[in-house]
Amino acid sequence: MKILIIEDEPELAKSMGVYLRDEGYTCDFATDYTEGLEKIHACNYDCILLDIMLPGGNGLAIVEELKRLKKNDGTIIISAKNSLDDRIKGLHLGADDYISKPFYLSELSARIFSLIRRRQLGNVNIIEQNELKVDILGKEVTIHDKPVVLTKKEFGLLLLLMSNANRVLSKSALAEHISGAGVVDFDSYDHVYAHIKNLKKKLNDGGCGNYLRTIYGTGYKWEI
Amino acid sequence: MSKLLNYSLRKIIICAGIVLVLSIPIYYFAISRLWQYEMDEHNVMLTTEAAREDSFLIIGAVTLLSVVFFTFLLGALILMNRILSKKMWQPFYQSLAEMKAFNLNQPHDISFKKTGITEFDDLNTSLEKLLTANINIYNQQKEFADNASHELQTPLAVVQSKLDLLSQSEHLNDAQFQLIEEALFALSRVSRINKNLLLLTKIENSQFADKVQVDISAVLQELLSQLSFYFEEKELTLQVDIEPGVMVEGNRILLEILLGNLLTNAIRHSSTPGTVQITLRAAHISIKNSGKTALLEEQLFKRFAITSSHSSGSGLGLALIKQICIRYGWQVGYQFEGSMHVFSITF
Repeated sequence: MKILIIEDEPELAKSMGVYLRDEGYTCDFATDYTEGLEKIHACNYDCILLDIMLPGGNGLAIVEELKRLKKNDGTIIISAKNSLDDRIKGLHLGADDYISKPFYLSELSARIFSLIRRRQLGNVNIIEQNELKVDILGKEVTIHDKPVVLTKKEFGLLLLLMSNANRVLSKSALAEHISGAGVVDFDSYDHVYAHIKNLKKKLNDGGCGNYLRTIYGTGYKWEI
Repeated sequence: MSKLLNYSLRKIIICAGIVLVLSIPIYYFAISRLWQYEMDEHNVMLTTEAAREDSFLIIGAVTLLSVVFFTFLLGALILMNRILSKKMWQPFYQSLAEMKAFNLNQPHDISFKKTGITEFDDLNTSLEKLLTANINIYNQQKEFADNASHELQTPLAVVQSKLDLLSQSEHLNDAQFQLIEEALFALSRVSRINKNLLLLTKIENSQFADKVQVDISAVLQELLSQLSFYFEEKELTLQVDIEPGVMVEGNRILLEILLGNLLTNAIRHSSTPGTVQITLRAAHISIKNSGKTALLEEQLFKRFAITSSHSSGSGLGLALIKQICIRYGWQVGYQFEGSMHVFSITF
């Protein structure tokens, strides 16, 4: 899996690169608009991470260029602006997802995970782990082929955990994920525990193995 | 307070009056001396009776003349003053009107006409300088908040990503992970403050300009279902009385932020277990939540007024609510009634 990171802040690009490499992706980097354009012309990527405010041009123009070239690379816009206009514009132009700075690397990784699976045909939309099956598109979970009903937030958490398998997820990252990109700005930090408890209980009741572990007291880890 | 025009006129009239009154005895003295001299020269002798009569005549004539001339002078002065002053002070009144119409929130191009009078032109140039400086400072201040928040986003993202990577390192112990966790927690608060500051400046800068009819009843129901988990989690009894189909004109996102902030505040600051009452009517919404002590209303809507180290809120929630209400000309109020905090908005 190949990912292109177009980001002008070298330290941030480096962090993303390190995290994603550990997830098994190959990463290419571009630090400005022109370099970004060159790279998208030269190669096909499974996913492009695109900063909007780039030296030399607007990142949104790269999305347009991809469309013009009829390329099918998945794109996730990374913006420091957190402006709703940019979000709507970007998604309208054909970007697949939008994440605003600052973000958790685990969140980014989960977005890439879902994006790549959503865009591929066939059965990859379903993640299987022994008795557990998660349908990303249908948002359905089955254990031993029996459906388990999860709330929207619980499903989101499960996907975040599974797409960051064997990594340590901090409580803050889970809290951020739960409060999400919605307008309701709620500090769900205290509620992470309750959400996790509910999710764990539902999985255990369905007969799922104990993959979700607590680590270092407040961190969580999904083990494969 | 007296007007500038009357102020100078009164002084002049008083002055003229005093001069004329003082002139009466002088005239009398001068004329009677002249009269006496003429009579002595022609050896005319008058009886005391006739002399007194003459002197009364002189006093009478002098007074009458003085009064007549004073009246003329008065009339002429008033007339001259009116005409001259109006012309003379015209540029002043123009500048005054211009200044009165000036609003820092909606600055238009200020320009004073050339008057041809040095003092007024000086005044106008100084005013222009002062106003331009003010407008610039005001704009800079607005831009500063905007730019500062923008510029902070990227370094914040860098710090967060580094902490994220640090938490992935092998051989961490619990204490070390706790340190990372605490740093991340503080960082997330900074991000939230930053996000809200950005939002605040955007509203102040009159972005979100579009106005549509929004079904506020539906928006409220949707938010309540999103937040139901938190109501349960905090053991809050929810009493909802929503009139269906209430329409309000505004930007949908701003309305969601407004109601979302009111609701999350109610959840966050309720005692546990507690009650939250929500009432929506055609032109009015009130959200009540149980609490212990009344809050200071004048402090409440200011930025960072009631942030405490315990609260993970951004300290900007109510400032945002206030700003959105100002934007649409709505009234937002706070009361403390029967152990309940009551926030109400009149559309």
